[in-house]
Amino acid sequence: MTATSPDALAAPPGPAGRQSFPGLVGRGLRDIRQRHRLIRYLVGADLKRTHADTLFGQIWWLLDPLLQMAIYVVLVTVIFRRATPDYPLFLFAAILPWKWFATTLNDATTSVTGRQGLIRQIQFPKLVLPTAAVTAGTVSFAVGLLALGMVYVFYLHRLSAWVLLIPLIAVVQYAFTLALGVALAAMNAFYRDVHNVLRHVTRLWFYLSPALYSINDLREGSVERFVLQLNPMTHLLESYRAVTWGTSAPDWLGLLAVLGLSVVLLVFAVALFKRVEPAFARIL
Amino acid sequence: MAEPTTDAASPRGRGTGRPDVAQPADVATGGREFPEAVEPEPPTVPDLLLPTPTAAAAPAAEAGDPAIDVRDLGIRYNLRLTRRTTLKGSLPDFFRRDEEMPNHFWALRHVSFRLEHGESLAIIGPNGAGKSTLLLALAGILEPSEGVIRSFGRVSTLLTLGAGFEAELSGRDNIDLVAAFLGIDHSEMAALTPSIIEFADIGPFIDAPVKTYSTGMKARLGFAIATSVTPDILLLDEVLGTGDQTFRARSQARVRELIENAKAIVLVTHDLTFVTEFCNRAILVERGTVIREGPPAEIVRLYRNRVAERTLLAEAEAARFARVPGT
Repeated sequence: MTATSPDALAAPPGPAGRQSFPGLVGRGLRDIRQRHRLIRYLVGADLKRTHADTLFGQIWWLLDPLLQMAIYVVLVTVIFRRATPDYPLFLFAAILPWKWFATTLNDATTSVTGRQGLIRQIQFPKLVLPTAAVTAGTVSFAVGLLALGMVYVFYLHRLSAWVLLIPLIAVVQYAFTLALGVALAAMNAFYRDVHNVLRHVTRLWFYLSPALYSINDLREGSVERFVLQLNPMTHLLESYRAVTWGTSAPDWLGLLAVLGLSVVLLVFAVALFKRVEPAFARIL
Repeated sequence: MAEPTTDAASPRGRGTGRPDVAQPADVATGGREFPEAVEPEPPTVPDLLLPTPTAAAAPAAEAGDPAIDVRDLGIRYNLRLTRRTTLKGSLPDFFRRDEEMPNHFWALRHVSFRLEHGESLAIIGPNGAGKSTLLLALAGILEPSEGVIRSFGRVSTLLTLGAGFEAELSGRDNIDLVAAFLGIDHSEMAALTPSIIEFADIGPFIDAPVKTYSTGMKARLGFAIATSVTPDILLLDEVLGTGDQTFRARSQARVRELIENAKAIVLVTHDLTFVTEFCNRAILVERGTVIREGPPAEIVRLYRNRVAERTLLAEAEAARFARVPGT
């Protein structure tokens, strides 16, 4: 940050379109740093809004992932008749982070378009919107970990010290989701198609990620396995599963690769966002 | 942005250690200038490391100091990208990159004026003239497509009262939220909160979710927040008509107080009586350009004449069409 901020201020004070790449990134980082309180309030508002009008209220935070898991357990064990030992836990370890990923990406994508009224009313750094959306998702994931604790009651023999690494894996996932969310939020402001396409892409992505199955079910050296390796979510989900269900170390190399990719993506996403940000008020 | 920094000398010391406060004015001054408008200045490191250039442009706000300087402002909308574009509609146009395509629409063009501290400027004109666009540009929400806007000091906008409110949050939480959106420093807001609650006059409702508020309550709270921070430049869009008689009187008193405190005000309104009574300058905007600038009484008279003229024309037109079926 210290390396980029002098650049950011030195950038010509012209229309943002003429700004240099490091200048754009530096300004983006400055937006986040200066408005961390706004992000916190937005996250708080977001959490209050979710399930606010429901009978069970906050209990849905726990019920949602549990019910989803139950459906898949029925689907896979009863209908497809596949037997993986302790399958509910196996499944839950991947469903929980996936749910976080999918809903957060969806929320981030619509975070700018959903606030179009405000964007035409107040001048503020719009980068806080996707950031708050992704951060709010983190909280629901954290609450979901309580549900994981409940599932563990039945599978205590699977519990190991490796579960303490879940927050670390979550950090990598946060970076990856934030990068995608920022870029998608900017694109969706121009083309609402992005949101429509995203819904289907995430569904397909789910089946192409080892959530219901494990990458080890695929034959070593097969094309499918190779393709799956290229999917960042593979490494994240397999890592979660390793530390919760597999009582083993996460996929360290995979995690490192995803982290590196996420940081690069994030830099480009922030630059893209800052580049088109001035146009938001004009087109929304 | 190019001015030498004198913020340390500023009696309010604004911007020195409070980047949060400095933020909105930074956007207003620095963010929207065109490079050619700035004197080429060797960028010295200490200058660059200052939190924001805000205070550079905001010394003591005294009557006579410039508050807003608008030169040859133009705002162009790209009709191709406006309003819920889908890929299908814009893909064919994507490869034609002609700057002067008819798809562009100038909402404002060749607008120039200067406003000094202590002045209150009314922008009047018919619907669709570009008044609100001008206000959005002054607020820094819309970037100029051409020309320069320079504003000196903290800008506060009151475009639609209650913008940024979250229905599920309490009034108190919304004060924090809106203040954060406006870039007002948290500790400053904490100090101001009691007076905001008092001014908004919503009693125990302050801890109830905003979704339970009436329109008037929301407007009062919005007005109280926006005017609580004693901005150097206040931008108002047709907000003085909201609320009941009591609140209208109080809000007008508050606006007058702000005017007297050597703050500059720009307001868009259809309330011509208010214009002649409280503003000391007015500009008439029509079809994106400034028709005339001058004392409010004169501008209001001019506007009324033009409206009357147009009404007569329209009536004549209507009469002609009314006769057509008969012939």
